Amino acid sequence: MKKILISLLILFMFFVPNLYAEDAVEIFKGESGSLSLAGGTAHIPVLKEAAKRIMKYNHDIRITIGGGGSGVGIKKVGEGLIDIGNSGRKPSPGEISKYGLELYRWAIDGVTVVVHPSNKVNNLDTDTLKKIFSGKIKNWSKIGGSNAKINIYTRDNSSGTRKVFWKKALNKGEISPKALFISSNGAMKTAVAKDKNSIGYISIGHLDNSVKGLSLNGISPELENVKSGEYKVARGLYSNTKGEAKGLERKFIDYLYTLEGQSIIASKGFIPVKK
Amino acid sequence: MKINAASLFRLFSYFSFIFYVGVFVFFISYLFIRSDAPFSSASVFGESSFIKAVFYNEPVFEGLYPALCGTLLLVATSVLIAVPFGTGTGLWLSEFAKGRKQKVMTLLIDILSGLPSIVIGLFGFSIILIMHKIIPAKSPGFSIIVSSFSLSVLVLPYIAKSTQTAVSSLDKSLKLSGLSLGADKIENIRYILLPKAFPSILSGILLAIARCAEDTAVIMLTGAVANAGIPGSIFERFEALPFFIYYTSSEYTSENELEMAFNASVLLIFICIVLFIISYCINSIAFKRKKRVK
Amino acid sequence: MQKKIVPGYILSENREQILNIYNLFLKFIIFSGAILSSVLIFLILLIMIFLALPFFSHEGISIFSGSWNPVSGSYGIAPMIAGTVLTAVPALIIAFPLSLGYSVFAAETGNRYLKKPAILLIRAASSIPTVVYAFAGIFIIVPLIRKIGHGGSGYSILSASLVLAVLISPTMIFFFYDSLKSVNKYTQQGALALGASKSEKVLFLLIPSAKRGIFAGVFLGLGRALGDTMISLMLAGNSASFPDSAFESARTLTAHIALVMAADYDSPEFRSVFACGIILYLITAFLSITARYIYKGRIQ
Repeated sequence: MKKILISLLILFMFFVPNLYAEDAVEIFKGESGSLSLAGGTAHIPVLKEAAKRIMKYNHDIRITIGGGGSGVGIKKVGEGLIDIGNSGRKPSPGEISKYGLELYRWAIDGVTVVVHPSNKVNNLDTDTLKKIFSGKIKNWSKIGGSNAKINIYTRDNSSGTRKVFWKKALNKGEISPKALFISSNGAMKTAVAKDKNSIGYISIGHLDNSVKGLSLNGISPELENVKSGEYKVARGLYSNTKGEAKGLERKFIDYLYTLEGQSIIASKGFIPVKK
Repeated sequence: MKINAASLFRLFSYFSFIFYVGVFVFFISYLFIRSDAPFSSASVFGESSFIKAVFYNEPVFEGLYPALCGTLLLVATSVLIAVPFGTGTGLWLSEFAKGRKQKVMTLLIDILSGLPSIVIGLFGFSIILIMHKIIPAKSPGFSIIVSSFSLSVLVLPYIAKSTQTAVSSLDKSLKLSGLSLGADKIENIRYILLPKAFPSILSGILLAIARCAEDTAVIMLTGAVANAGIPGSIFERFEALPFFIYYTSSEYTSENELEMAFNASVLLIFICIVLFIISYCINSIAFKRKKRVK
Repeated sequence: MQKKIVPGYILSENREQILNIYNLFLKFIIFSGAILSSVLIFLILLIMIFLALPFFSHEGISIFSGSWNPVSGSYGIAPMIAGTVLTAVPALIIAFPLSLGYSVFAAETGNRYLKKPAILLIRAASSIPTVVYAFAGIFIIVPLIRKIGHGGSGYSILSASLVLAVLISPTMIFFFYDSLKSVNKYTQQGALALGASKSEKVLFLLIPSAKRGIFAGVFLGLGRALGDTMISLMLAGNSASFPDSAFESARTLTAHIALVMAADYDSPEFRSVFACGIILYLITAFLSITARYIYKGRIQ
């Protein structure tokens, strides 16, 4: 009886199809401990999925992921409060030298202007965009939309998304103090999706049917355009460590560079890169 | 019925009653309607199950279990810290403080109870900062212990006040009986007063527990995060029900997540109401017992 | 002298001094509790001042300027003070009459079968967390305000004030109820005997007699409204400017602290929140002291 069972078991193992390469997670075999990440909010969907798979594979590992924005991520990892700090912008040379950061870029992303899907506007040029965000143009009807007040949503100062948007899309133009403050990419998407007269900006990776991404100067916010360089409002997604990454941190970052990691990144809407 | 100011005012009082009852009934039922089986295994454990999550340590995603655990652990730790010091303060106020000292202390406790919770959270965060500067290697940073400490500062006035009320409203003859038998003040408290006042003190503690479970501002600044799994120790970050509700409300990406937030709201209200009911029952039993003795 | 081992008792040389460690422990808890509580109140304020000082020595005046724009170096918290006042005061104005009416109902004018459940309902309601109020508000109030406000975002001081009013009502209702109930029974009977109707008794005797409690309740309600974080954080939009209308967004001191803490630390921006904390501390302390003074009738 036992022999039959064992041979059945072996046969079973051969025939069960291997749906996806689980090998990548195995770099965490035998590891234990905890890993804390925080910072950029654009990274969160990817990291959450990665953490889910790792923790499911190895119950002894605990990964916590926080938000706060790129600025917070850089500062916290620099001060040693967390293990990995995520930023949606490249840390400045000052930050790198002050904290001794090592940068690990694992995706290319862009920042797009978003409005409610029912909004008639599809494209904006830089000048109009600047006028909207500074509050000079107050009504959608002035640019081809319906007769309604423009509700501006923006991010807080720590946000890398905001910095990239301000620098590259607004050309460092002013953002009206009347803008409503949102604390993450996810929250911005939710807010814009609920408000018919809203305008905001999110990471291209977060783009989905609940909001509409506007073309900037005629170039649509698609990944191909980011890749080719035509869509200029682009940025890398970085995970930074204080000093060279070791132990669990190293393994986590390595995981992001594996085929499985890169497939997660691509599935969440970003362009995976290796360094 | 005459139409004058007085009767109009009476009508207005009826209106206020209907207004508030309507408001509360409406918004509680709204939460219930939009939630989806909040007490079910799917809502708490997500794809996992009770047995797997509790006994096999399988991580729970898409479920409220981590937040529930976090809240539980948080409340337990806060109560452990707050109860001794709170009841101690209350006892001091009712038994040891005289005149001026008592009035000053009561004033200080009143100020403390009026402080906004975010200020107390700020205080907790300052402790984290200061500890980080003094003992960078060993400082706990964002953790349950710091949040619990801050929460106990928040509820200390509640416990102190209810202890003080409970003990000072005891029959005077009771207080004197112990002393007349030769006990000193402390023994009197320990053997006579505390046992008698215990139910009222307990109901105050239960209300403090409810306060700890529901507060968001304090834990937001001292240790609650959106994703932390089950807390491994009190020196780690944690999830909590109220923080989960706040966090999800601003960035839900699917109807599923939103439903989880409604479930969390229902669970949280349920916990608070249950604590309130128990506290109320204890109070009324104690009150009836007091009446019977007389 | 016999050295008897009695649990918990340490027999000392002088038999008169029997020290029981449990009693000692109790004594320790009582006195250290008292010391700790009194120290805490001052410690909280002192730490905030200590951490806010570097800010004041560097940026100083800009905190009183009218705009908050860290990018250009202005850390004015005046818009936030306006936000706090503009959400709390309307909430109080809305809640006060209704709370008074409800407490009158529960104390006097209500149907005798409804009176007890009425006060019970409010006690239960006071245990509802603020985050739940705010959460429900997002889905009930904000869309409503959006419709009424002709296309605004719905996140406005009006939304926050409305929900805040519901939040502070139970607190005020308790206070009013207690004060109304404690008016002297004989005086009440006297009024009725002199020909006053029940309603007149309520309006012209009970309320004036309960004046103290009513004022104290108002101050406490105001304190609660000023100090609440979640409702204004989730419903008022958090734009850092002076709102021009009730349908516009604003940021309160409390929401400001929460937002900046979540997004930064160790910068002038961050240190300015300690200044906000100090202001909140002083305002609520003042309100508590005043409420107490009104209620008790003397300054102590």
